[in-house]
Amino acid sequence: MKTTMGHTVSVHAASHGNGKGTAAHIGKVVKNRYVLYFVSIVSLLVIWHFSAVIGESSKYMPTPAMVLTELWRIAHENLAGKNLLGHLWSSMHRVLIGFAIGSLVGVPLGLFMALNRYLNALVKPIFDLFKPMPPISWISLAILWFGIGEESKVFIIAIGAFVPALINSYNGIRLVDPALYDAIRMLGANRWQTMIEVTFPAGFPALFAGLQIALSVAWSCVLAAELVSARSGMGFLIILGMTMSNPAMILSGMVVIAITAYLITVVLSNVEKWVCPWKVELPQ
Amino acid sequence: MTDQTTKIECQNLSKIFKQRSGKVQIPVLESISLSVVENEFLVIVGPGQCGKTTLLRIIAGLETPTTGKVFLDGKEVTGPGPDRGMVFQKYTLFPWKTVMGNVEMGLKIGGMSKRQRREVASHYINLVGLQGFEKAYPHQLSGGMKQRVGIARAYANNPKVLLLDEPFGQLDAQTRYLMEQETARIWSVEKKTVIFVTNSIEEAVYLADRIVTLEGKLPGRLKSTYVVNLPRPREHIDKEFLEMRHTITKETELLL
Repeated sequence: MKTTMGHTVSVHAASHGNGKGTAAHIGKVVKNRYVLYFVSIVSLLVIWHFSAVIGESSKYMPTPAMVLTELWRIAHENLAGKNLLGHLWSSMHRVLIGFAIGSLVGVPLGLFMALNRYLNALVKPIFDLFKPMPPISWISLAILWFGIGEESKVFIIAIGAFVPALINSYNGIRLVDPALYDAIRMLGANRWQTMIEVTFPAGFPALFAGLQIALSVAWSCVLAAELVSARSGMGFLIILGMTMSNPAMILSGMVVIAITAYLITVVLSNVEKWVCPWKVELPQ
Repeated sequence: MTDQTTKIECQNLSKIFKQRSGKVQIPVLESISLSVVENEFLVIVGPGQCGKTTLLRIIAGLETPTTGKVFLDGKEVTGPGPDRGMVFQKYTLFPWKTVMGNVEMGLKIGGMSKRQRREVASHYINLVGLQGFEKAYPHQLSGGMKQRVGIARAYANNPKVLLLDEPFGQLDAQTRYLMEQETARIWSVEKKTVIFVTNSIEEAVYLADRIVTLEGKLPGRLKSTYVVNLPRPREHIDKEFLEMRHTITKETELLL
Protein backbone atom coordinates (compact mmCIF):
# COMPACT_ATOMS: atom_id res chain seq x y z
CA MET A 1 0.00 0.00 0.00
CA LYS A 2 2.75 2.36 1.08
CA THR A 3 4.76 1.66 -2.05
CA THR A 4 1.78 2.29 -4.29
CA MET A 5 1.28 5.68 -2.69
CA GLY A 6 4.97 6.42 -3.11
CA HIS A 7 4.60 5.63 -6.80
CA THR A 8 1.68 7.97 -7.28
CA VAL A 9 3.55 10.79 -5.64
CA SER A 10 6.67 10.38 -7.74
CA VAL A 11 4.66 9.96 -10.96
CA HIS A 12 3.09 13.34 -10.22
CA ALA A 13 6.46 14.91 -9.72
CA ALA A 14 7.70 13.43 -12.98
CA SER A 15 4.71 14.57 -15.00
CA HIS A 16 5.58 18.14 -14.18
CA GLY A 17 8.49 17.71 -16.53
CA ASN A 18 11.14 17.75 -13.86
CA GLY A 19 14.11 15.71 -15.09
CA LYS A 20 15.41 15.15 -11.59
CA GLY A 21 12.00 13.80 -10.58
CA THR A 22 12.06 11.19 -13.35
CA ALA A 23 15.50 9.99 -12.29
CA ALA A 24 14.36 9.75 -8.71
CA HIS A 25 11.29 7.85 -9.90
CA ILE A 26 13.37 5.32 -11.81
CA GLY A 27 15.67 4.97 -8.83
CA LYS A 28 12.72 4.25 -6.62
CA VAL A 29 11.32 1.60 -8.95
CA VAL A 30 14.72 -0.09 -9.27
CA LYS A 31 15.11 -0.20 -5.50
CA ASN A 32 11.60 -1.54 -4.90
CA ARG A 33 11.76 -4.91 -3.17
CA TYR A 34 9.09 -6.55 -5.33
CA VAL A 35 10.63 -5.27 -8.54
CA LEU A 36 13.90 -6.85 -7.45
CA TYR A 37 12.14 -10.13 -6.61
CA PHE A 38 10.70 -10.13 -10.11
CA VAL A 39 14.07 -9.35 -11.69
CA SER A 40 15.65 -12.16 -9.71
CA ILE A 41 13.15 -14.80 -10.84
CA VAL A 42 13.12 -13.66 -14.47
CA SER A 43 16.92 -13.73 -14.70
CA LEU A 44 16.97 -17.26 -13.31
CA LEU A 45 14.48 -18.37 -15.96
CA VAL A 46 16.39 -16.58 -18.74
CA ILE A 47 19.75 -18.05 -17.71
CA TRP A 48 18.12 -21.46 -17.38
CA HIS A 49 16.51 -21.18 -20.80
CA PHE A 50 19.67 -20.16 -22.63
CA SER A 51 21.89 -22.68 -20.92
CA ALA A 52 19.37 -25.33 -21.98
CA VAL A 53 19.18 -24.34 -25.66
CA ILE A 54 22.93 -24.00 -26.23
CA GLY A 55 24.26 -26.93 -28.23
CA GLU A 56 23.10 -30.42 -27.36
CA SER A 57 22.40 -29.70 -23.73
CA SER A 58 18.58 -29.67 -24.02
CA LYS A 59 18.74 -33.46 -24.20
CA TYR A 60 19.78 -33.43 -20.56
CA MET A 61 18.53 -30.03 -19.50
CA PRO A 62 14.99 -29.09 -20.54
CA THR A 63 13.98 -25.44 -20.91
CA PRO A 64 11.54 -23.89 -18.42
CA ALA A 65 8.82 -24.08 -21.05
CA MET A 66 9.44 -27.81 -21.53
CA VAL A 67 9.14 -28.35 -17.78
CA LEU A 68 5.83 -26.46 -17.74
CA THR A 69 4.49 -28.58 -20.61
CA GLU A 70 5.61 -31.73 -18.84
CA LEU A 71 3.93 -30.55 -15.62
CA TRP A 72 0.71 -30.07 -17.54
CA ARG A 73 1.04 -33.56 -19.05
CA ILE A 74 1.68 -35.45 -15.81
CA ALA A 75 -1.04 -33.50 -14.04
CA HIS A 76 -3.55 -35.01 -16.46
CA GLU A 77 -2.01 -38.30 -17.50
CA ASN A 78 -1.83 -41.29 -15.19
CA LEU A 79 1.62 -42.67 -14.40
CA ALA A 80 1.55 -46.02 -12.63
CA GLY A 81 -2.15 -45.51 -11.94
CA LYS A 82 -1.95 -41.98 -10.52
CA ASN A 83 -1.67 -38.45 -11.84
CA LEU A 84 0.58 -35.79 -10.32
CA LEU A 85 -1.87 -34.90 -7.53
CA GLY A 86 -2.31 -38.58 -6.71
CA HIS A 87 1.42 -39.04 -6.30
CA LEU A 88 1.69 -35.86 -4.28
CA TRP A 89 -1.02 -37.13 -1.98
CA SER A 90 0.73 -40.51 -1.58
CA SER A 91 3.81 -38.69 -0.31
CA MET A 92 1.81 -36.30 1.85
CA HIS A 93 -0.10 -39.18 3.37
CA ARG A 94 3.13 -40.91 4.43
CA VAL A 95 4.55 -37.64 5.75
CA LEU A 96 1.49 -36.92 7.86
CA ILE A 97 1.41 -40.38 9.46
CA GLY A 98 5.17 -40.47 10.07
CA PHE A 99 5.21 -36.90 11.36
CA ALA A 100 2.31 -37.62 13.70
CA ILE A 101 4.00 -40.71 15.14
CA GLY A 102 7.40 -39.01 15.45
CA SER A 103 6.09 -35.92 17.20
CA LEU A 104 3.59 -37.77 19.40
CA VAL A 105 6.52 -39.74 20.79
CA GLY A 106 9.19 -37.03 20.58
CA VAL A 107 7.38 -34.07 22.13
CA PRO A 108 6.16 -35.76 25.34
CA LEU A 109 9.48 -37.54 25.79
CA GLY A 110 11.32 -34.22 25.37
CA LEU A 111 9.01 -32.56 27.89
CA PHE A 112 9.42 -35.31 30.45
CA MET A 113 13.19 -35.31 29.98
CA ALA A 114 13.30 -31.56 30.59
CA LEU A 115 11.11 -31.84 33.68
CA ASN A 116 12.64 -34.90 35.28
CA ARG A 117 16.40 -35.13 35.55
CA TYR A 118 16.40 -38.84 36.45
CA LEU A 119 14.49 -39.71 33.31
CA ASN A 120 16.79 -37.35 31.45
CA ALA A 121 19.89 -39.11 32.77
CA LEU A 122 18.42 -42.45 31.68
CA VAL A 123 17.28 -41.48 28.20
CA LYS A 124 19.69 -38.77 27.06
CA PRO A 125 22.79 -40.96 26.51
CA ILE A 126 20.80 -43.31 24.26
CA PHE A 127 19.23 -40.41 22.41
CA ASP A 128 22.59 -38.68 21.92
CA LEU A 129 23.91 -41.88 20.37
CA PHE A 130 21.05 -42.10 17.88
CA LYS A 131 20.72 -38.39 17.15
CA PRO A 132 23.60 -37.98 14.69
CA MET A 133 22.48 -40.93 12.52
CA PRO A 134 20.82 -39.61 9.38
CA PRO A 135 17.26 -41.05 9.33
CA ILE A 136 17.76 -42.39 5.83
CA SER A 137 20.54 -44.68 7.09
CA TRP A 138 17.78 -46.77 8.65
CA ILE A 139 16.28 -47.58 5.27
CA SER A 140 17.88 -50.97 4.73
CA LEU A 141 16.92 -52.18 8.21
CA ALA A 142 13.44 -50.73 7.77
CA ILE A 143 12.94 -52.66 4.53
CA LEU A 144 14.24 -55.87 6.15
CA TRP A 145 11.88 -55.40 9.07
CA PHE A 146 8.77 -54.01 7.41
CA GLY A 147 9.12 -54.89 3.74
CA ILE A 148 8.91 -52.37 0.91
CA GLY A 149 5.34 -51.29 1.72
CA GLU A 150 4.11 -48.21 3.52
CA GLU A 151 5.44 -49.21 6.95
CA SER A 152 9.12 -48.90 6.13
CA LYS A 153 8.63 -45.40 4.69
CA VAL A 154 6.54 -44.26 7.62
CA PHE A 155 9.21 -45.66 9.94
CA ILE A 156 11.96 -43.56 8.32
CA ILE A 157 9.80 -40.43 8.42
CA ALA A 158 8.83 -41.02 12.04
CA ILE A 159 12.49 -41.32 13.02
CA GLY A 160 13.33 -38.16 11.08
CA ALA A 161 10.53 -36.18 12.74
CA PHE A 162 11.14 -37.64 16.20
CA VAL A 163 14.63 -36.15 16.63
CA PRO A 164 13.91 -32.42 16.11
CA ALA A 165 10.56 -32.74 17.91
CA LEU A 166 12.32 -34.12 20.99
CA ILE A 167 15.34 -31.78 20.93
CA ASN A 168 13.28 -28.63 20.58
CA SER A 169 10.65 -29.41 23.17
CA TYR A 170 13.45 -30.42 25.56
CA ASN A 171 15.43 -27.22 24.95
CA GLY A 172 12.30 -25.07 24.97
CA ILE A 173 11.55 -26.12 28.53
CA ARG A 174 15.16 -26.10 29.70
CA LEU A 175 15.83 -22.59 28.42
CA VAL A 176 12.87 -20.83 30.04
CA ASP A 177 14.08 -17.59 31.64
CA PRO A 178 14.46 -18.44 35.37
CA ALA A 179 13.30 -14.92 36.26
CA LEU A 180 9.83 -15.87 35.01
CA TYR A 181 9.79 -18.65 37.60
CA ASP A 182 10.68 -16.08 40.29
CA ALA A 183 7.82 -13.89 39.11
CA ILE A 184 5.19 -16.64 39.17
CA ARG A 185 6.35 -17.99 42.52
CA MET A 186 6.12 -14.49 44.02
CA LEU A 187 2.49 -14.48 42.88
CA GLY A 188 1.90 -17.60 44.93
CA ALA A 189 1.96 -20.37 42.33
CA ASN A 190 2.50 -23.97 43.40
CA ARG A 191 4.46 -26.43 41.25
CA TRP A 192 1.52 -27.44 39.12
CA GLN A 193 0.42 -23.83 38.51
CA THR A 194 4.02 -22.89 37.68
CA MET A 195 4.06 -25.59 35.02
CA ILE A 196 0.73 -24.56 33.51
CA GLU A 197 1.27 -20.81 33.62
CA VAL A 198 5.00 -20.52 32.85
CA THR A 199 6.78 -23.72 31.81
CA PHE A 200 4.48 -24.73 28.95
CA PRO A 201 3.64 -21.32 27.47
CA ALA A 202 7.28 -20.20 27.70
CA GLY A 203 8.52 -23.39 26.07
CA PHE A 204 5.84 -23.47 23.41
CA PRO A 205 7.52 -21.37 20.68
CA ALA A 206 10.58 -23.63 20.72
CA LEU A 207 8.34 -26.70 20.72
CA PHE A 208 6.45 -25.34 17.74
CA ALA A 209 9.69 -24.51 15.94
CA GLY A 210 10.65 -28.14 16.55
CA LEU A 211 7.44 -29.30 14.88
CA GLN A 212 8.15 -27.06 11.91
CA ILE A 213 11.63 -28.56 11.53
CA ALA A 214 10.20 -32.05 12.06
CA LEU A 215 7.73 -31.54 9.23
CA SER A 216 10.36 -30.35 6.79
CA VAL A 217 12.66 -33.22 7.78
CA ALA A 218 9.71 -35.57 7.28
CA TRP A 219 9.21 -34.17 3.80
CA SER A 220 12.82 -34.80 2.80
CA CYS A 221 12.72 -38.27 4.39
CA VAL A 222 9.70 -39.34 2.35
CA LEU A 223 11.49 -38.44 -0.86
CA ALA A 224 14.59 -40.35 0.15
CA ALA A 225 12.53 -43.38 1.14
CA GLU A 226 10.57 -43.26 -2.11
CA LEU A 227 13.74 -42.97 -4.15
CA VAL A 228 14.85 -46.29 -2.71
CA SER A 229 11.65 -48.22 -3.25
CA ALA A 230 8.14 -47.14 -4.04
CA ARG A 231 5.34 -47.50 -6.56
CA SER A 232 3.85 -44.09 -5.89
CA GLY A 233 4.83 -40.68 -4.54
CA MET A 234 6.93 -37.76 -5.67
CA GLY A 235 10.18 -39.66 -5.13
CA PHE A 236 8.86 -42.45 -7.31
CA LEU A 237 7.96 -39.91 -10.02
CA ILE A 238 11.55 -38.64 -10.08
CA ILE A 239 12.94 -42.16 -10.33
CA LEU A 240 10.44 -42.87 -13.11
CA GLY A 241 11.74 -39.80 -14.95
CA MET A 242 15.25 -41.17 -14.59
CA THR A 243 14.42 -44.65 -15.90
CA MET A 244 12.51 -43.13 -18.81
CA SER A 245 15.42 -40.68 -19.31
CA ASN A 246 12.99 -37.79 -19.22
CA PRO A 247 14.76 -34.90 -17.43
CA ALA A 248 11.69 -32.65 -17.82
CA MET A 249 9.74 -35.09 -15.69
CA ILE A 250 12.45 -35.14 -13.03
CA LEU A 251 12.54 -31.36 -12.91
CA SER A 252 8.74 -31.15 -12.81
CA GLY A 253 8.81 -33.42 -9.77
CA MET A 254 11.49 -31.31 -8.14
CA VAL A 255 9.53 -28.11 -8.75
CA VAL A 256 6.39 -29.59 -7.22
CA ILE A 257 8.41 -30.84 -4.22
CA ALA A 258 9.90 -27.37 -3.67
CA ILE A 259 6.56 -25.61 -3.98
CA THR A 260 4.97 -28.06 -1.55
CA ALA A 261 7.76 -27.55 1.00
CA TYR A 262 7.38 -23.78 0.61
CA LEU A 263 3.62 -23.94 1.10
CA ILE A 264 4.06 -26.07 4.23
CA THR A 265 6.38 -23.38 5.67
CA VAL A 266 3.95 -20.58 4.84
CA VAL A 267 1.01 -22.42 6.37
CA LEU A 268 2.94 -23.26 9.53
CA SER A 269 4.22 -19.74 10.08
CA ASN A 270 0.64 -18.50 9.79
CA VAL A 271 -0.49 -21.13 12.26
CA GLU A 272 2.26 -19.88 14.55
CA LYS A 273 1.03 -16.29 14.31
CA TRP A 274 -2.36 -17.57 15.29
CA VAL A 275 -1.28 -19.70 18.26
CA CYS A 276 1.53 -17.36 19.46
CA PRO A 277 0.23 -13.84 18.83
CA TRP A 278 2.64 -12.58 21.47
CA LYS A 279 5.77 -13.66 19.65
CA VAL A 280 7.85 -10.76 18.38
CA GLU A 281 8.02 -10.81 14.62
CA LEU A 282 11.43 -10.50 13.02
CA PRO A 283 11.71 -7.83 10.35
CA GLN A 284 12.16 -9.33 6.88
CA MET B 1 3.55 7.50 60.20
CA THR B 2 1.37 7.00 63.18
CA ASP B 3 1.06 3.27 62.72
CA GLN B 4 4.17 1.61 64.10
CA THR B 5 3.36 -2.09 63.67
CA THR B 6 6.48 -3.90 62.52
CA LYS B 7 5.85 -5.61 59.18
CA ILE B 8 9.26 -6.88 58.12
CA GLU B 9 12.00 -7.84 60.50
CA CYS B 10 15.43 -8.94 59.29
CA GLN B 11 17.60 -10.48 61.99
CA ASN B 12 21.33 -10.63 61.50
CA LEU B 13 21.19 -11.72 57.85
CA SER B 14 24.29 -12.83 56.04
CA LYS B 15 24.79 -14.50 52.71
CA ILE B 16 27.79 -16.29 51.30
CA PHE B 17 27.63 -17.42 47.68
CA LYS B 18 29.51 -20.62 47.01
CA GLN B 19 30.66 -21.68 43.62
CA ARG B 20 29.86 -25.22 42.55
CA SER B 21 33.28 -26.56 43.53
CA GLY B 22 32.86 -25.03 46.98
CA LYS B 23 36.37 -23.63 46.86
CA VAL B 24 35.49 -20.03 46.08
CA GLN B 25 33.23 -18.35 48.59
CA ILE B 26 31.92 -14.86 48.04
CA PRO B 27 30.50 -13.12 51.10
CA VAL B 28 27.72 -10.86 49.80
CA LEU B 29 25.92 -9.68 52.92
CA GLU B 30 27.00 -9.50 56.53
CA SER B 31 25.04 -8.94 59.75
CA ILE B 32 22.09 -7.06 58.31
CA SER B 33 19.40 -6.25 60.85
CA LEU B 34 16.55 -4.12 59.69
CA SER B 35 12.89 -3.57 60.37
CA VAL B 36 10.15 -1.93 58.38
CA VAL B 37 6.91 -0.67 59.90
CA GLU B 38 3.48 -0.75 58.34
CA ASN B 39 2.96 1.61 55.40
CA GLU B 40 6.53 2.79 55.56
CA PHE B 41 8.40 3.54 52.33
CA LEU B 42 11.91 2.25 52.94
CA VAL B 43 14.58 2.78 50.30
CA ILE B 44 17.81 0.79 50.32
CA VAL B 45 20.56 2.66 48.48
CA GLY B 46 23.91 1.34 47.45
CA PRO B 47 26.20 1.22 44.44
CA GLY B 48 26.20 -1.70 42.02
CA GLN B 49 27.43 -5.04 43.35
CA CYS B 50 26.90 -4.19 47.02
CA GLY B 51 24.42 -6.94 47.78
CA LYS B 52 21.23 -4.85 47.84
CA THR B 53 19.41 -7.00 45.31
CA THR B 54 20.45 -10.12 47.24
CA LEU B 55 19.03 -8.58 50.41
CA LEU B 56 15.72 -7.94 48.66
CA ARG B 57 15.66 -11.45 47.21
CA ILE B 58 16.21 -12.90 50.68
CA ILE B 59 13.26 -10.88 51.98
CA ALA B 60 11.27 -12.12 48.98
CA GLY B 61 12.20 -15.69 49.83
CA LEU B 62 13.87 -16.25 46.47
CA GLU B 63 17.23 -16.73 48.19
CA THR B 64 17.90 -18.36 51.54
CA PRO B 65 20.20 -16.49 53.91
CA THR B 66 23.36 -18.25 55.10
CA THR B 67 22.61 -17.06 58.62
CA GLY B 68 19.78 -15.04 60.11
CA LYS B 69 16.05 -14.92 59.59
CA VAL B 70 13.39 -12.74 58.00
CA PHE B 71 9.98 -12.30 59.63
CA LEU B 72 6.83 -10.96 58.06
CA ASP B 73 4.15 -10.11 60.64
CA GLY B 74 6.11 -12.21 63.12
CA LYS B 75 6.12 -15.30 60.89
CA GLU B 76 9.38 -16.57 59.47
CA VAL B 77 9.81 -16.27 55.71
CA THR B 78 10.76 -19.64 54.24
CA GLY B 79 10.13 -19.10 50.54
CA PRO B 80 8.44 -16.89 47.98
CA GLY B 81 4.76 -16.17 48.52
CA PRO B 82 1.89 -13.92 47.56
CA ASP B 83 2.10 -11.92 50.81
CA ARG B 84 5.06 -10.13 49.21
CA GLY B 85 4.71 -8.51 45.80
CA MET B 86 7.84 -8.10 43.70
CA VAL B 87 8.63 -5.64 40.92
CA PHE B 88 11.68 -6.67 38.93
CA GLN B 89 14.36 -4.55 37.31
CA LYS B 90 13.94 -6.42 34.03
CA TYR B 91 10.13 -6.17 34.22
CA THR B 92 9.79 -9.98 33.92
CA LEU B 93 6.29 -9.83 32.50
CA PHE B 94 4.79 -12.97 31.01
CA PRO B 95 5.25 -12.30 27.28
CA TRP B 96 2.37 -14.61 26.27
CA LYS B 97 -0.09 -12.73 28.44
CA THR B 98 -1.72 -9.40 27.66
CA VAL B 99 -1.55 -6.50 30.10
CA MET B 100 -4.80 -7.77 31.60
CA GLY B 101 -3.50 -11.34 31.73
CA ASN B 102 -0.34 -10.24 33.51
CA VAL B 103 -2.09 -8.07 36.08
CA GLU B 104 -4.71 -10.69 36.93
CA MET B 105 -2.22 -13.58 37.10
CA GLY B 106 -1.78 -13.50 40.87
CA LEU B 107 -5.55 -13.48 41.39
CA LYS B 108 -6.00 -16.34 38.92
CA ILE B 109 -3.44 -18.37 40.88
CA GLY B 110 -5.24 -17.45 44.07
CA GLY B 111 -8.40 -19.00 42.60
CA MET B 112 -10.50 -15.86 42.13
CA SER B 113 -13.35 -16.09 39.62
CA LYS B 114 -12.74 -14.62 36.19
CA ARG B 115 -15.27 -11.81 36.52
CA GLN B 116 -14.01 -10.75 39.92
CA ARG B 117 -10.35 -10.74 38.96
CA ARG B 118 -11.09 -8.78 35.79
CA GLU B 119 -12.68 -6.15 37.99
CA VAL B 120 -9.75 -5.97 40.42
CA ALA B 121 -7.17 -6.02 37.63
CA SER B 122 -9.00 -3.23 35.75
CA HIS B 123 -8.86 -1.12 38.87
CA TYR B 124 -5.08 -1.42 39.08
CA ILE B 125 -4.58 -1.01 35.35
CA ASN B 126 -6.42 2.29 35.71
CA LEU B 127 -4.44 3.18 38.81
CA VAL B 128 -1.13 2.89 36.93
CA GLY B 129 -2.58 4.77 33.96
CA LEU B 130 -2.75 1.96 31.41
CA GLN B 131 -6.47 2.01 30.61
CA GLY B 132 -6.95 1.22 26.93
CA PHE B 133 -3.90 -1.08 26.84
CA GLU B 134 -5.57 -4.10 28.46
CA LYS B 135 -5.25 -6.21 25.33
CA ALA B 136 -1.68 -5.19 24.42
CA TYR B 137 1.15 -7.70 24.71
CA PRO B 138 4.33 -6.73 26.62
CA HIS B 139 6.45 -6.52 23.46
CA GLN B 140 4.15 -3.78 22.20
CA LEU B 141 4.82 -1.57 25.24
CA SER B 142 7.62 0.86 26.07
CA GLY B 143 9.89 0.24 29.05
CA GLY B 144 8.00 2.65 31.28
CA MET B 145 4.68 1.07 30.37
CA LYS B 146 6.06 -2.41 31.01
CA GLN B 147 7.08 -1.39 34.48
CA ARG B 148 3.63 0.10 35.09
CA VAL B 149 2.28 -3.37 34.32
CA GLY B 150 4.84 -4.82 36.75
CA ILE B 151 3.66 -2.47 39.48
CA ALA B 152 -0.01 -3.16 38.76
CA ARG B 153 0.63 -6.90 38.79
CA ALA B 154 2.28 -6.68 42.20
CA TYR B 155 -0.40 -4.35 43.60
CA ALA B 156 -3.34 -6.38 42.29
CA ASN B 157 -2.32 -9.39 44.35
CA ASN B 158 -2.78 -7.23 47.46
CA PRO B 159 0.51 -8.19 49.13
CA LYS B 160 1.39 -7.10 52.65
CA VAL B 161 4.71 -5.76 51.45
CA LEU B 162 5.81 -4.46 48.08
CA LEU B 163 9.41 -5.17 47.05
CA LEU B 164 10.86 -3.15 44.18
CA ASP B 165 14.27 -4.13 42.83
CA GLU B 166 15.79 -1.16 40.96
CA PRO B 167 12.53 -0.93 39.04
CA PHE B 168 13.53 2.07 36.92
CA GLY B 169 17.14 1.09 36.31
CA GLN B 170 16.50 0.35 32.64
CA LEU B 171 14.59 3.51 31.83
CA ASP B 172 15.86 6.73 30.29
CA ALA B 173 16.16 9.77 32.57
CA GLN B 174 12.88 11.43 31.52
CA THR B 175 10.81 8.29 31.92
CA ARG B 176 12.54 7.57 35.19
CA TYR B 177 11.47 10.95 36.64
CA LEU B 178 7.94 10.35 35.48
CA MET B 179 7.84 6.87 36.96
CA GLU B 180 9.16 8.15 40.30
CA GLN B 181 6.32 10.65 40.36
CA GLU B 182 3.87 7.94 39.43
CA THR B 183 5.18 5.62 42.14
CA ALA B 184 4.76 8.36 44.75
CA ARG B 185 1.25 9.07 43.46
CA ILE B 186 0.17 5.41 43.40
CA TRP B 187 1.61 4.87 46.87
CA SER B 188 -0.25 7.88 48.21
CA VAL B 189 -3.52 6.57 46.72
CA GLU B 190 -3.07 3.02 48.01
CA LYS B 191 -0.70 2.90 50.94
CA LYS B 192 1.54 -0.14 51.26
CA THR B 193 4.63 -1.16 53.13
CA VAL B 194 7.36 -0.74 50.53
CA ILE B 195 10.99 -1.78 50.30
CA PHE B 196 12.56 -0.12 47.30
CA VAL B 197 16.12 -0.82 46.14
CA THR B 198 17.99 1.71 44.02
CA ASN B 199 21.42 3.09 43.25
CA SER B 200 20.13 6.65 42.85
CA ILE B 201 20.28 8.89 45.92
CA GLU B 202 17.99 11.38 44.22
CA GLU B 203 15.38 8.69 43.63
CA ALA B 204 15.72 7.62 47.25
CA VAL B 205 15.20 11.13 48.65
CA TYR B 206 12.24 11.66 46.34
CA LEU B 207 10.42 8.52 47.45
CA ALA B 208 11.52 7.45 50.90
CA ASP B 209 10.22 7.85 54.42
CA ARG B 210 13.50 6.34 55.48
CA ILE B 211 16.72 5.58 53.62
CA VAL B 212 19.29 3.00 54.56
CA THR B 213 22.61 2.93 52.76
CA LEU B 214 24.81 -0.08 52.18
CA GLU B 215 28.57 -0.01 52.07
CA GLY B 216 30.10 0.13 48.65
CA LYS B 217 32.00 -3.15 48.66
CA LEU B 218 31.36 -6.77 49.49
CA PRO B 219 30.25 -8.00 51.87
CA GLY B 220 27.42 -5.48 52.07
CA ARG B 221 26.82 -4.04 55.53
CA LEU B 222 24.37 -1.42 56.65
CA LYS B 223 26.03 1.96 56.76
CA SER B 224 23.65 4.72 57.82
CA THR B 225 19.98 5.49 58.16
CA TYR B 226 18.32 8.76 57.18
CA VAL B 227 14.76 9.74 57.99
CA VAL B 228 13.27 11.88 55.23
CA ASN B 229 10.64 14.18 56.69
CA LEU B 230 10.09 16.34 53.64
CA PRO B 231 6.45 17.05 52.78
CA ARG B 232 4.96 15.22 49.77
CA PRO B 233 4.73 15.69 46.85
CA ARG B 234 8.39 16.53 46.79
CA GLU B 235 10.28 18.80 44.44
CA HIS B 236 13.72 17.81 43.19
CA ILE B 237 14.97 21.40 43.47
CA ASP B 238 13.68 22.33 46.93
CA LYS B 239 16.40 23.55 49.24
CA GLU B 240 15.76 20.84 51.84
CA PHE B 241 15.68 18.19 49.13
CA LEU B 242 19.06 19.23 47.81
CA GLU B 243 20.52 19.45 51.31
CA MET B 244 19.37 15.92 52.08
CA ARG B 245 20.81 14.68 48.84
CA HIS B 246 24.06 16.47 49.57
CA THR B 247 24.34 14.98 53.06
CA ILE B 248 23.84 11.43 51.82
CA THR B 249 26.12 11.90 48.84
CA LYS B 250 28.92 13.15 51.05
CA GLU B 251 28.72 10.04 53.18
CA THR B 252 28.53 7.48 50.40
CA GLU B 253 30.75 6.53 47.52
CA LEU B 254 27.97 7.18 45.05
CA LEU B 255 28.43 10.25 42.90
CA LEU B 256 24.78 10.95 42.29
